[in-house]
Amino acid sequence: MERNVCIIGGGMSHWGVRQASARDMFQEAGKACFNDIPGLSNKDVDGLIVASAFTERSCFQTHLAPLVAEYLGIKPKNICARVELLCASGSSGIILAYGLIKSGIADVVMITGGEKLFTPQKWEVFYSELGTGDHDWDGSQGLGLPPPFFSMVAQRHMKLYGTTEEQLAMVSVKNRRNGLNNPKGQFQKAITLEEALNAKHVVAPLKLFDCCPVTDGASAVILACEEKAKEYTDKPLVYIKGVGQATVNNMSANMPSMTTWEALKIAGNQAYSKAGVKPSDIDVAQTHDCFTISEIIESEDLGFCEKGEGGLFVQEGRSDYGGDVAINTDGGLLSCGHPFGGTGIRQGIEIMKQLRGDAARQVEGARTGLTHNLSGLSAAHTVLVYGRDI
Amino acid sequence: MEGISILNGKYAVSMDMYPLQDKNYNMVYKFYDNLKEGRFTTTKCTDCGARSFPPRIICPECLSENMEWVDLPSEGTVLVVAEQEAGVPLGFQAPLIHAHVDLGGELTYLGRVQNCKAGELKEGDKVKLVVIPIEPVPADGKKGAVIQHERVFFVFEKVK
Ligand SMILES: [Zn+2]
Repeated sequence: MERNVCIIGGGMSHWGVRQASARDMFQEAGKACFNDIPGLSNKDVDGLIVASAFTERSCFQTHLAPLVAEYLGIKPKNICARVELLCASGSSGIILAYGLIKSGIADVVMITGGEKLFTPQKWEVFYSELGTGDHDWDGSQGLGLPPPFFSMVAQRHMKLYGTTEEQLAMVSVKNRRNGLNNPKGQFQKAITLEEALNAKHVVAPLKLFDCCPVTDGASAVILACEEKAKEYTDKPLVYIKGVGQATVNNMSANMPSMTTWEALKIAGNQAYSKAGVKPSDIDVAQTHDCFTISEIIESEDLGFCEKGEGGLFVQEGRSDYGGDVAINTDGGLLSCGHPFGGTGIRQGIEIMKQLRGDAARQVEGARTGLTHNLSGLSAAHTVLVYGRDI
Repeated sequence: MEGISILNGKYAVSMDMYPLQDKNYNMVYKFYDNLKEGRFTTTKCTDCGARSFPPRIICPECLSENMEWVDLPSEGTVLVVAEQEAGVPLGFQAPLIHAHVDLGGELTYLGRVQNCKAGELKEGDKVKLVVIPIEPVPADGKKGAVIQHERVFFVFEKVK
């Protein structure tokens, strides 16, 4: 018999350039998560999933989940493993925990994710990025860090649909402003349109504020079956309603389109149909704004606006508070930063708070929310729909 | 002393940006053998006709193991260019230029363009593949010997 699954609490470490190890930050995130659920002890958790992509490369640490369990005083008995899907590792962990709880294999599962990316020498993380696409075929062409690829995406979208550099900048202005809602995010500073437009190029047309930064940090959430959720928390219940994760290519040679993300459309449709909702039902969304152009394409391919109108969508304020769907209400990757395995979990925390009604800046009356991660050179897409109603 | 002294002179696969190309380490080594002869090739399924890139040992369409090597065009047209001036990864010089290239309608991929100045390459320009030597892999041989596996790789250059 399938069970209903709730997200009952979450928390994160401070994100940014941290004077801390990965294990320090997993402890901070776990503690913050337990603090959000006073009725639950670490001894009540029967499963642990740890999401981390660069643990071997920047920490020399494999077999990470038992280490984190030991540090957090968790003694899992149903699952204790790590999951990796680069930038979508965290939301992948949530999907797997959801399935385990829905099917009855586990009852109360913590998903914690994070990365230590600032190492003593700066070259290392950038060099390690050469392994994030297809190492032998794309990485060997010097494609690791994503700005060159997303620069091409932006150029193509601008040419095809008339998207402007101002519209790109409007995404960063909105998300930097929303970042003031998350005191644990990497940046706590709003920017003006002029600052965004006058910033130096990273890879043209992408400028400094069009790109998310390198980030240390961790985050954690706990999922529980509905029965246990009622036992452990008095806060309004937030359900996972539907999920989708799709890939249609990995290497650049097999990419069907640079500007229409087929895998995102597939993952979104899977999540919407399982949840029994349509794009217009989504009140608040956290989408993967690794670059400003990404959020623009995501608002199109998730069905929030017509294809090609993603630039207008942000320009007209339809992705802001008071618009059609408030996107990246806690600042997204552009303001919070992006410790790969931590991001999908951070998104889940913000959606949970928005749907519980206790977000730092609330989308009034929000009942249905969505999170989205992309990973690789836009090679895989992960979508979850959350709701107050099951 | 700089760095980790016990690793001085050591080779680590996990720090090598290029693939292991020798037949001891992969089953599509013929791609690199062909490349050394100036041929840019891939595999095609002799059962269903599907041509794959990168090359395979098994057809991803029909799962046949019957593959033949076929030549790909080595000249293409630039669809879009990305120029990176700052923050170029170790091993590359600024400007680091990448292009999405259409090879005669048969294949598109993201390739590096060498010997190219910033602002020099535009959409619609022609590029050609050139084969470049890269560092060999020093592998353990018998009785302490080191065997150097020579390697090449492929990049674009603008057709002038
Ligand atoms: Zn076949």
